[in-house]
Amino acid sequence: MSAPTTAGRPVPPTGTPATVAPDVAPGAVLGDGTTARGRARSRWRRARWPLVVLLGVLVAAALASVLEPRTSTDPLGHDNPEADGARAVAQVLTGQGVTITPVSTTADAARAAGPGVTLLVSSTWYLSDEQVERVRGTGADLVVVSPDDWHVPVLTGGAVDVVWSASTTVEPRCDDPAARAAGTLTTSGGPYVAVTDAASVCFTGSDGAGGVASATVDGARVTLVSDGSVLTNRYVADEGNAALALHLLGRNDELVWYLPSATDTGESATDPFALLPPWVGPVAAQLGLVLAVVALWRARRLGRLVTEPLPVTVRAAEATEGRARLYRRARSRGHAAAALRAGTARRAAGRLGLPRSAGATDVVDAVARATRRPAEQVTALLYGPPPTDDAGLLRLARQLDELESEVHRT
Amino acid sequence: MALTWRAAALAAAGLVVVVLLPTTATVLLWALLVVLACGTDVALAASPREVAVQRTVPRSVRLTDTSSSTLTLTNRSRRRLRATVRDAWQPSAGTGPNRHEVDLPPGEARRLVTRLRPTRRGDRLADRVTVRSYGPLRLAARQVSLDVPGRLRVLPEFASRRHLPSRLARLREMDGRTAVQIRGAGTEFDSLREYVIGDDVRSIDWRATARRSEVVVRTWRPERDRRVLVVLDTSRTSAARIGDVPRVDASIEAALLLSALAARAGDRVDLIAYDRRLRAQVAGAHGPRLLPALADALAAVEPALVETDWPGVVSAVRQRLSQRALVVLLTSLEPAAVESGVLPVVGPLAGDHTVVLASVADPEVAAMRTRRGDATEVYDAAAAERTDLERAAVSVRLRQRGVEVVDALPDDLAPRLADTYLALKAAGRL
Repeated sequence: MSAPTTAGRPVPPTGTPATVAPDVAPGAVLGDGTTARGRARSRWRRARWPLVVLLGVLVAAALASVLEPRTSTDPLGHDNPEADGARAVAQVLTGQGVTITPVSTTADAARAAGPGVTLLVSSTWYLSDEQVERVRGTGADLVVVSPDDWHVPVLTGGAVDVVWSASTTVEPRCDDPAARAAGTLTTSGGPYVAVTDAASVCFTGSDGAGGVASATVDGARVTLVSDGSVLTNRYVADEGNAALALHLLGRNDELVWYLPSATDTGESATDPFALLPPWVGPVAAQLGLVLAVVALWRARRLGRLVTEPLPVTVRAAEATEGRARLYRRARSRGHAAAALRAGTARRAAGRLGLPRSAGATDVVDAVARATRRPAEQVTALLYGPPPTDDAGLLRLARQLDELESEVHRT
Repeated sequence: MALTWRAAALAAAGLVVVVLLPTTATVLLWALLVVLACGTDVALAASPREVAVQRTVPRSVRLTDTSSSTLTLTNRSRRRLRATVRDAWQPSAGTGPNRHEVDLPPGEARRLVTRLRPTRRGDRLADRVTVRSYGPLRLAARQVSLDVPGRLRVLPEFASRRHLPSRLARLREMDGRTAVQIRGAGTEFDSLREYVIGDDVRSIDWRATARRSEVVVRTWRPERDRRVLVVLDTSRTSAARIGDVPRVDASIEAALLLSALAARAGDRVDLIAYDRRLRAQVAGAHGPRLLPALADALAAVEPALVETDWPGVVSAVRQRLSQRALVVLLTSLEPAAVESGVLPVVGPLAGDHTVVLASVADPEVAAMRTRRGDATEVYDAAAAERTDLERAAVSVRLRQRGVEVVDALPDDLAPRLADTYLALKAAGRL
């Protein structure tokens, strides 16, 4: 009679929430026993050391970037303290009241330089002919370090040319004040020869070619130095290098220090971001915001992971498998064959009702009788010599199987 | 505090606005809007700490059966509770869908049912109940994880009970309740009854026949009220995995079948689980109370990674037995472990009691032994053969000390042990 009653009562399907009495039964858990204050305190306690470390790293990074002077590794760079840099010369010049303006493009050099300004060009290797023309057209006093051979006439208005020379000399042998002040240099000789009277070449050898050439072109003085090492930190203090360098670069109160590079196309460096549409930045920032929100959404778990306290998962057969691998690695056919033979003999003897103490001859006799095989064959199978190769072992295993299948209870 | 996909969607909706008004201020304002909206939503959410949670779990369930955990949520706050509730359990508790959506007006309560279908024997524990309470816009939520303890005891499956009817039939035959008497079926005199055709003529009681008008036979029955002590070894050798379960699970199946059979045969069954100390014991449970008590005690037995203290086992056995009894050692026939552990102490015990050692053999090794595919497999077979030989050798040494050895594959162990018990009973060796 209970079936209709049950059917008549509205029974909520299992799994769906069913309303029950609103009073809280004893044994119910209400809250996790924390207060807002306690949670804030524990969160602060958990987070404060990571925060202190983070803050320390930030402060250290800020201090490092402020206190440490910027340095570079560009050869002949005014801020390069390495052996091939020229920070020593630059700092002495600054101490003497020369203002140094470092530039890296022809356009910036042309903008910064002009008449009454010294323009140092560390190399012309990266410069096109137009750029060299622009450099010369600035009207500034040029000091060009190891210019390329085909740029020499352009820079000096044809007053200086280049020859191949093996001359070695350390004497100025000219009346240029800079060269005379230097006296001797750590370098020797040079390829420059004067073509017109407008040029003077110093440190010449017997063939008239020298390492420092100067000419006055359109009212500006152009000095070519064949070997830039006289300016480097390594050699500037030796011989008269320092005197030559300071004379050449300290001629005017303003010095533009131009280091051409492979990326120097002549134009001023432009910000590549300026080429993008204006909405790209804000949209990227908004995408970052979306990403942050998505990360926060996905990062919060609905409760912690639950781990399973697992028992040991060693397979019982592993010891046997290990032994099989040892047999195999050692090519231990003798042991393997002995095991297979002993197993067959044990089972055959058990099936034939032999006592456990039965000897080899008894077993062979009984098996030979049961299988109607010659006793020699059974002896060879059960107690023969071990196989000499894996194929022999396989053959023996199959023959033993065959023998065993022929043994029936008599 | 937790965000939902709606918060992400709100942030993404800002992309349209930013494309129309591409300034940094737009981005900042929209970020502010998202933060304010989420903050307001959280502030308006019902506090998950004002939800009373009560758990109801059945005490125990048999492995492979389905059970359920019921959470009763009561909203004690003055706000409507819109929440996702997760009822977390250990993975082996086999939870069905355990995330429940709740929409609960103030003061009301709901019952949430999580299906459990455990996949492992033992105590399965509930983890925390997590309540994530959303604000009215469902942009963000407050979340709290509550410790609501719950424990479901998963009893052994007792799959071997399918072997019980056939063994009980054999027991009844031995008991003399069938017409055909089997010679040697018991040694205890039971009663006299009228001869029926088929009875063994040697069991005719001539003196009683002389007093009465019909031929009367004596019936015998197996001894009753004998004691059986099952010793379950829970040491490291029982932790090894056979198939997908630890070796001890097959031993438990065998122990349950033997106990069920022995209890029906009228014997008293006790059980101890032991490695270096007593892990579980059942003593003095009779009749219908025995199997539940055993299942409950064995449910929580887990293998321990220690070596068995066999002298301790022997003294625990002697402490519990005064008269001659059947002692069943459910352990492993691991040659090294047996030689150093069981062999030195089992001799005297076998002198006082009938000792049976039952061990679970590994079907993987048995399969390896018959492989003949190539040379590699023959080496495997040889190694398996060597393992078998060593087990056989150690069985011989045990038998020499008077111990019955039952070494069988996991599925066969329970019936084989039951058969051994019946054979011992029939032979009157209990």
